[in-house]
Amino acid sequence: MTVVAAERAGGGVRRLVREGGALDRFGVPVGLAAGFLLVWELVVRLCQIPVFLLPSPSVIAVTLVTDWRVIYLNIGSTLVAVLGGFGLSILVGVPLATLIVFSRLAERVFYPPMVASQAIPKVAIAPLFIVWLGYGIAPKIGIAFLIAFFPIVIDTVVGLRSVPPEMLQLGRSMGSGSLRVFLKLRLPSALPNLFGGLKVAVALAVVGAITGEFVGSQSGLGYLLTSASGQMDTPLVFAVLVTISAIAVLLFLAVEALEKFAIPWHSSMRSRHLGP
Amino acid sequence: MNAVVRQNAARSSAAASSGLVEPAPSAAPSRSSVAVQPGDVFVRFGNVSKFFGEGEGRVHVVDDVSFGARRGEFIAFLGPSGCGKSTTMMLASGLVPASSGTIEIGGTRIVKPYTDLGIAFQQDLLMDWRNVLSNVLVQPEFRGWRVRDYEQRARDLLALVGLSGCEEKYPFELSGGMRQRVSICRALVHNPELLLLDEPFGALDALTRDQMNLDLQRIWQENRKTVLLVTHSIPEAVFLADRIFVMSPRPTHIAQEIAIDLPRPRSLEVRETPEFAAYVHDITRCFYQMGVLRS
Repeated sequence: MTVVAAERAGGGVRRLVREGGALDRFGVPVGLAAGFLLVWELVVRLCQIPVFLLPSPSVIAVTLVTDWRVIYLNIGSTLVAVLGGFGLSILVGVPLATLIVFSRLAERVFYPPMVASQAIPKVAIAPLFIVWLGYGIAPKIGIAFLIAFFPIVIDTVVGLRSVPPEMLQLGRSMGSGSLRVFLKLRLPSALPNLFGGLKVAVALAVVGAITGEFVGSQSGLGYLLTSASGQMDTPLVFAVLVTISAIAVLLFLAVEALEKFAIPWHSSMRSRHLGP
Repeated sequence: MNAVVRQNAARSSAAASSGLVEPAPSAAPSRSSVAVQPGDVFVRFGNVSKFFGEGEGRVHVVDDVSFGARRGEFIAFLGPSGCGKSTTMMLASGLVPASSGTIEIGGTRIVKPYTDLGIAFQQDLLMDWRNVLSNVLVQPEFRGWRVRDYEQRARDLLALVGLSGCEEKYPFELSGGMRQRVSICRALVHNPELLLLDEPFGALDALTRDQMNLDLQRIWQENRKTVLLVTHSIPEAVFLADRIFVMSPRPTHIAQEIAIDLPRPRSLEVRETPEFAAYVHDITRCFYQMGVLRS
């Protein structure tokens, strides 16, 4: 009995240390981050760098706590812009990709302006969006959408096209209509690619929303960022940046969790770690 | 109406396939549990040719192929890689239209996809997001039939190929041979009259391939459906087929037709008999003559 328990405990330790174990999963990144912060803190203190140039991590942490209320009040509108833009990019991107896959004409019509729209810096069109859509949440959603829908369309097109032709022949040999073949064959096959696009898109949507708030806004983390840097409140700038990164990471993890739930069968979900 | 008939057929055949193996070997290749009239041609190709592309870039793939496959007969198309034998077989499905000539199945000319068939390709083409049972039941599901009516037959077929207990597993949990067996079950579950097999065992290792040949022969003997098999393995063709069409290089035509008169069920040991060796020898000589093989 005790031997079994000891073995189990030993196994637990081994699992902790082993590749893919808890230590590997959380220990390494946490350790690296802690080391980085420590060096940062020491450099700032030893070189006596002024706080408006580079605040130390501890100052940023304190600011995060003391100014949490103003940060918190601005999270909401940014989150609405991010999720609105992200949701809109899915609603538009997936049907657009479908259209492009099925119609050569749609491909010729939509692809060039789509690529062109990505070549223009979003900061450069943001003022136009303000002119067209006003100072409310709409232009932020618009910019988040504009930047996020591109990877979704590109990846969904690749996914929908990656079905082997024999698979489609098989579907037709079973007398299926194109709708059923699309829903039951093409769409599930495209899911791994679609999720790849979603993960890129959700991070980009955050960038888009902040960009929109930079240009013209009375609320949101982007607005807070510009006003804080205008007042030389560098610790607050860093505190907001930390918050924005945290939001992006959490959204990314949420999409990844959804991916794990939706496509447990895909090889990317099973062989995540290559190497010895 | 059609679906109802089909479902009944599936049920009765599910009952018939519960582990019955043909008892005694027989020399007659067209012997069957269902009454088969000799000469009752099921698949007929009349001067069928196929071109891909247009104008200058047009490729002549199939050249004037004519044959008649009897109901319940096992036909093998044997030829070098890329000769067009797969295209020839796929023409029978109606998924690929012929450029000229006529194709008839059961007396009806094929002008659109013929759906009373099962197909298995070299890739197993399983849907990774469905478990084994659900992959087999794709067949009735995609046809819009009642899936539940086919579940027992699907389980029986999986058991027949040694996959009982794997119904709930996902394709990524299976070996290549097991996956290919699932794909064969999918081709058979709706009890189709015609089975098109396009090098279904080409990607398997030699031992698994032998096992699959035995399994396929057993399943075929129980159901006696018309089979068109594409292969580039001479022993596999001789082992399985009633008749072999030796196909020429592209544009492909039937260079030689060889009836295989070996008793069934054939065991793997049949490959060591002089009769078997003689068939292999004939076919090999045919490939030498066509320049496919060079000494």
